[in-house]
Amino acid sequence: MTKQYRRHDDIRLTAMEGEGVVLHMGERRYFTVTETGLVILEALKTPRTFEALVDAITNEYDVTTEHAQRSVQAFLDQCLSSSLIHESEH
Amino acid sequence: MINFEAQGDELDRSVAFGCDVVCENAQAREFVRSWLHDAKLPWPGPFQITIHVGGDNPFPPDTRESFNQPSLTVQGGPPSGAVRITWTYAPAAAEVHATRPEAVVWLSPEAVDAAEAGERSFFLVVLIFLMRRLGWYHVHGASFIDPLGRGWLMAGDSNCGKSTTTALVASRGWKVGTDDIGFLAREGEHIVSRGMRTTIGLRPGGVALLGAKGGRYLQDRNKEAYWPEELGGGWAPIVTPEIIVFPRLGERTSVVRAPARTALSSMVMWSIWVLCEPQFAQEHLDVLGQVARQSRCFDLTLGPDLFDHPTLLEALIP
Repeated sequence: MTKQYRRHDDIRLTAMEGEGVVLHMGERRYFTVTETGLVILEALKTPRTFEALVDAITNEYDVTTEHAQRSVQAFLDQCLSSSLIHESEH
Repeated sequence: MINFEAQGDELDRSVAFGCDVVCENAQAREFVRSWLHDAKLPWPGPFQITIHVGGDNPFPPDTRESFNQPSLTVQGGPPSGAVRITWTYAPAAAEVHATRPEAVVWLSPEAVDAAEAGERSFFLVVLIFLMRRLGWYHVHGASFIDPLGRGWLMAGDSNCGKSTTTALVASRGWKVGTDDIGFLAREGEHIVSRGMRTTIGLRPGGVALLGAKGGRYLQDRNKEAYWPEELGGGWAPIVTPEIIVFPRLGERTSVVRAPARTALSSMVMWSIWVLCEPQFAQEHLDVLGQVARQSRCFDLTLGPDLFDHPTLLEALIP
């Protein structure tokens, strides 16, 4: 079984200079995200594994895999706790 | 059914697009008609407001989560998609169709008598949701054009200095779109702000700082009202923002460039209905994003020194 992550359908987002603002229509809350957070949320339009998200970051930025893993995990945890994304097993 | 009289090019469009107010009660009909007429907005398309006066509230109870504002609740989104607006200042309610720019409004006789108090709350929110269906998105902000022809948007809450600053720049000959109520819309490749034509409302402190004379006292708002022209300025029916400032009050006037995330979140904060109605949210958010991207955005602290050095704004944001 592999865990996959996907953006909540209630999410709307827009970007400016690489950074973004995210609306959660169901919760009626909004969040700001960093450049890397925006890359992850854009990727999560379709279901992605943790490893695929780490690849997306290491392909885009000059960071080590370990650094990318820590950043992606921290961001996913924040998004899960704010209901911005779903987690499912496949 | 009422059609507006043509008075100039801008209002010709109102007639052409047939913004209709349907109401059997003459007092309510004339109030809404005058209010819309005086806004001097070139409506982006046809819309209709049907008003019923008296009797019981005809709308069934709505259990959807509500946005609460002073004397007002707004409910929108699934399952019906319609927007319910309830006024508690005097009994009144409205329902705006899920997709069409049509509103049904119920007013108690008390609400008809208190209609002026609803100009900036109940009736305005009905209009905001009607315009949203036509691609205009409300922003809580002032707009003006400086002598260099640059468009400014000053987005922020009440009590943050918008009106006093608007009056100050008007007194220096700037053209004013609005001191408080704007609609953002796509116009060619840009986002523009259409200002609702209203007087600039100054509290006693603002009147004193500006040394303004004349004005008309607005009892319900405890403000003196001035047209920009009375202060020495002009009117700008359309402003293309190049500079966006997010003001707050402080000891001394200063600016700092707003980081992108701050600018975007501030635009959301001052156009908060973006969080209502999922079906319009992405386009609304895209408009907010685009106006922020087309502009230089600043956090602005407004201090009393602005009145000693009235050219400070241009000096700080050349």
